Amino acid sequence: MSDDAKKEIPSDDQLAEMDRDELLKLGGELDDVQLVEYDDPWPVKGTRAEKRAERAVAAWFTLAGLAGLAFVGVFIAWPWRYAPAHSDAHVLYLLYTPLLGLTLGLAIVGIGVGVVMYAKKFLPHEVAVQQRHEGRSPEIDRQTFVAHLADAGAVSGIARRSLIKRTALFGTGAFGLAVAALPLGSLIKNPHAESTTKDGLWHTGWLAPQGERVFMRRDTGDSHSIELVKPEDLDAGSMETVFPFHAPVTKSGEVDYAALDDILAGRKRVDPAELSEALTRSDNPVMLIRLRPEDGVKVVKAQNQEDFNYGDYYAYTKICSHLGCPTSLYEQRTNRILCPCHQSQFDALHYAKPIFGPATRKLAQLPIQVDARTGYFYATADFNEAVGPAFWERKS
Amino acid sequence: MTSKKADADGESKAARKSARSSKRRRRISGLLALGVGLIALGAIYSALLPDSQTARADQNDPALIRKGEDVYNRTCISCHGDNLQGVKDRGPSLIGIGEAAVYFQTSTGRMPLAMQGAQSERKPPKVSPEEIDALIAFVESKGPGGPKVPAEDGEALRGDNPARGGELFRMNCSSCQNFTGRGGALSSGKSAPELDPATEKQIYAAMVSGPENMPKFSERQLSPEEKKDIIAYIKSVTDGNNNPGGAPLGGLGPQSEGLIAFIVGMAALVGVTLWIGAKS
Repeated sequence: MSDDAKKEIPSDDQLAEMDRDELLKLGGELDDVQLVEYDDPWPVKGTRAEKRAERAVAAWFTLAGLAGLAFVGVFIAWPWRYAPAHSDAHVLYLLYTPLLGLTLGLAIVGIGVGVVMYAKKFLPHEVAVQQRHEGRSPEIDRQTFVAHLADAGAVSGIARRSLIKRTALFGTGAFGLAVAALPLGSLIKNPHAESTTKDGLWHTGWLAPQGERVFMRRDTGDSHSIELVKPEDLDAGSMETVFPFHAPVTKSGEVDYAALDDILAGRKRVDPAELSEALTRSDNPVMLIRLRPEDGVKVVKAQNQEDFNYGDYYAYTKICSHLGCPTSLYEQRTNRILCPCHQSQFDALHYAKPIFGPATRKLAQLPIQVDARTGYFYATADFNEAVGPAFWERKS
Repeated sequence: MTSKKADADGESKAARKSARSSKRRRRISGLLALGVGLIALGAIYSALLPDSQTARADQNDPALIRKGEDVYNRTCISCHGDNLQGVKDRGPSLIGIGEAAVYFQTSTGRMPLAMQGAQSERKPPKVSPEEIDALIAFVESKGPGGPKVPAEDGEALRGDNPARGGELFRMNCSSCQNFTGRGGALSSGKSAPELDPATEKQIYAAMVSGPENMPKFSERQLSPEEKKDIIAYIKSVTDGNNNPGGAPLGGLGPQSEGLIAFIVGMAALVGVTLWIGAKS
């Protein structure tokens, strides 16, 4: 800018006479830019080659358009619902997602290739050289420019008009909040929403609201079958995942053994929804562990949990106290319980206290006994603390 | 056999590129040798002893027990003691461990141990099937009553409901063994092995005997039918049977798949960028 004076500035009359090419050239010269090469790719208009290039670009855009329409069509009309394998509709169902990707991808690629081809085939091949100026701008340019900026600020009076400043801040701030609320909102969830009782997070499916006996049930892969667990089912050094089964109650509040026999023998039906709910409720799984006899003598019990075990049988929640993953990697020799998500380790011989990894609380222990009449395991009470990860109301 | 060989060839090709290629190659050639050996031995075994029931009935045969004692004295005694009572810091007592444990440990080559470590690795078996039978008879004679292996082997041990087997596998096994039997890490350098090379009988024996840190699954906890369904499921997802995309990428889930997607995607993006920039 500083050597503007050296350049010839055309007068108004000269300017009026200049055509577009000359003006372009003049603008470049004023900025020290020189066009070395500026070839029109099609100096002769209307040749076959030009038409072919034009058609090629048009073909890509058409492809993009057709693919986009196809995407909309697939999105609306394709049979996307799950169809069982081996049925005729299964292949159609399998194709749904790939087709969405294929059509939309083709549309994007078509547009992209079309634009790139247009730029390569029709825009002039331009090679421009711009002179590089040494050092920073002269002091006079710098100071006048800063003065210009400062003047703009002062003249607008924004410093003085605090009302506008504050309302502008409020408006943009609220807008920012709205933008942030969208992703944040998905993180905020009421953990009590799915609770079946008033303080649901403190209780699990092992809670007996009517004082009924809650037996231990195994998952046989069939959510409707009911198999209860006996001590002799487990070898020393083994672990089984068990779920609560609420036994029927007589009018006097005792276990209705006749009804229980009927249920186990398949003569009496239990609500199937309740049965499968017991297997899927997230705080229900309990690891029933039978220690080897030589390890059983080494056990250290937690305070107030001295009578929670039955001989060498210990029942700990399967839900990790860190973030609620299933901690079911039980090592029967080292008696460690591992959580696969974040490598927390708990010592089964030491009231399942954490000995490695990010978990800080022990696994909750379920108090168990064996029913004298039937020989099945049952839980004498719910856990004496909440299972799983921390939540707002939890202080420990 | 041919597919297994082709698989191994492909694997060894990739292995050559890695720094630990020799270890991999050793393992793969070991697996191959094991496969060939097992099949050959299985053929000989079935030819010589067509009725396995007779072989089992022979367990109380004094000659077989004496042969077993001879094998024991040659291969096991230094760690497990001259009376199976175990040697401190070397090997546990073998009294009453049952034929399933003996069968699993010796037929997978884990015993005799190559060296003391976090865990014993699968390797070609050092003792022949006949010697294993003799060993079982000897160990049983010292303390009977441990978990047994079924008489049948191979296809006969696959249940007819792999779907239920899958449910049970995910409930009881997958936390250590991975959903498709790839194995996984345990504490302090230990790991759960990959299930590809394990035979049906070995899987069954492992379930009832609980080798190393694996919990035991008694016949009352998982019935023989449930165990067979689990085996059917395992066999349906291992050994390249759960590989619809062609390359399993280790079957480890999003890590390896994400890495490959990243590398391939990045290369494609760079390539397209270069193409756009070229000649303009």
